[in-house]
Amino acid sequence: MRYINKLRHYGIFIVFLAICINLSLISPQFLTISNWTIIITQVSINALLAFGVTFVIITGGIDLSLGSIVAVSGVTAAMLAHPNTYPLIVPILAALFAGLLIGAFNGFMITKSKIAPFIVTLGTMTIGRGLALILSDGRPVSNLSDSFVFIGSGKLLGLPILILILVIMFIICSVILNKTTLGRYIYALGGNEQAARASGIMVTRVKMMVYSISGVLAGLAGILLTSRITTGQPNAGAGFELDAIAAVVIGGTSTSGGKGSIGGTMIGVLLIGVINNSLDLLNVSSYYQQVVMGLIIIGAVVLDSLNQKSNY
Amino acid sequence: MVMKNTFLNFLVGVLLLSACNPSANEKQKNPDRIRIGVSMLSMQNEFIVNISDEMQIKAEELGVELIMVDAERSPLKQIEQVESFIAQKVDAIILNPCEFEASSPAVTKALDANIPIVNVNSATKIQPVSFVGSDDVESGRIAMKYISEKLGGKGNIVMIQGLNGQAAQIQREQGAKEIMEQNPGLKMIAQQTAEWDRSKSMDLMQNWIQSYGTKINAVFAHNDEMGLGAVKALQDAGMKDRVIVVSIDAIADALVSVKKGELDATVFQDAKKQGAGAIDAAVKIAKGQKSEKEILIPFKLLTKVDVDAYLK
Repeated sequence: MRYINKLRHYGIFIVFLAICINLSLISPQFLTISNWTIIITQVSINALLAFGVTFVIITGGIDLSLGSIVAVSGVTAAMLAHPNTYPLIVPILAALFAGLLIGAFNGFMITKSKIAPFIVTLGTMTIGRGLALILSDGRPVSNLSDSFVFIGSGKLLGLPILILILVIMFIICSVILNKTTLGRYIYALGGNEQAARASGIMVTRVKMMVYSISGVLAGLAGILLTSRITTGQPNAGAGFELDAIAAVVIGGTSTSGGKGSIGGTMIGVLLIGVINNSLDLLNVSSYYQQVVMGLIIIGAVVLDSLNQKSNY
Repeated sequence: MVMKNTFLNFLVGVLLLSACNPSANEKQKNPDRIRIGVSMLSMQNEFIVNISDEMQIKAEELGVELIMVDAERSPLKQIEQVESFIAQKVDAIILNPCEFEASSPAVTKALDANIPIVNVNSATKIQPVSFVGSDDVESGRIAMKYISEKLGGKGNIVMIQGLNGQAAQIQREQGAKEIMEQNPGLKMIAQQTAEWDRSKSMDLMQNWIQSYGTKINAVFAHNDEMGLGAVKALQDAGMKDRVIVVSIDAIADALVSVKKGELDATVFQDAKKQGAGAIDAAVKIAKGQKSEKEILIPFKLLTKVDVDAYLK
């Protein structure tokens, strides 16, 4: 019986495996190393955003400004990454700082003004998009240095750098959430904010931290996207926040807070990536791709709520 | 109490800001000057921004006043903007329509109010007084003709489409298919949308390379952003030398890429002539002179040999 319960706990992982097995039977290209390298590279940007918003959603919040942060940090990085200007570290730090700034602003407004995170981040989503357009004058910023472009298309130790960054961030985020005091506070806060406050947790500080983490990761995603497509685009990242939130939800994080994991989010991200990839391999029309994706999102939440009930 | 003060400050700030809004200074305008209301599709699109820049230059040259607004891709917003132009009693309206059908009521309203209206860049179902733009079907024909010549009338083609349902996507596809019907040796092995987006196009092309590999002889992308994404994916896979890539718009990045011998060709759409032409037509009509019903600006295919003159 305990075994069955455990199986249920890994519901989405089993669904993911089943889909992969099926796909490898239908499409001979699916289960090749080169195809998986492509899938993981393609999901790396969404993964970073999804990791960040996992922290936020576990505290019971939401972050809709991710896509705009990607644009601001991408444009910022591109403007500082022209050949023979600044060393590589300058555009990278500036873009991460831009992400941190917007994330911290989100956290500040949410904790100080008591406005709902949905509203605050909706506001910064619009502000961020405007900033990206102002910075770039409405045009893509091109002509990037080779070293900057190398981040998005180069390899280290035989692996694409995008994948290496993804693995490192996965480990860091998992450790923060599972092994640190901050991680424990994040879960406590999402489980019951009043109780968390009563037990002496600095709620304000924890919230500031999660939105800042989310902002920095989105800043990093902006750098990777800009480097990958070799241009900083002010309209990049529109709608990215929804893909990220979808991945988090598919991965079993509860939107009411208190429950979730980076591992689950990673499965959610991979599931979305695998579906997109295989429907392209099979040349399925994009109209159907969207329907399939929507069904998976709803299915994942239904699975999750069944799980919840069975626990009582 | 501190809270309250912050909010008061905020409110005062907002009031101050709205006081310096340009519309408040409208009284200063010269009553004899011709005033033209302009509603643009989206100021987040590089090509549209180029057209609007050319309009500003031409307007300054002719000494007319432009009231330029951004419809942000919303036909509803566009109709409201035209209504406000009518209320302001402008001398003429220039419309850069968001959609073929849904922006038509804007044209009807202007005509009913006896204000001359000129469409620029794309068409509406209801005929305006004058249309200045290019025939998108022709651009698709030009691109596919080039591919056909390069392949000797025989080969496998993949097509990366714009956002499904938009006039530019439909017409560019139509033009390309016309040429393919005349050349039965050309085969479309896959087609899919990448929503005008460079990174989505790169993902799509990577997936196609997995499933079709060396079978792909040529790529037709509905805009340069997507063409450049396909080029990047082909380069990463070491296949660019074997595959022809052609796209449309001749944006700055595409010209550089053609010059480098990466993108094989781009179809030049003349933002300068469209923007300046629209102002010319609107001013003429506002002064009671005749303007042609349809002013078509021709496209031009640009390859490595003739790209130099277009590079800024």
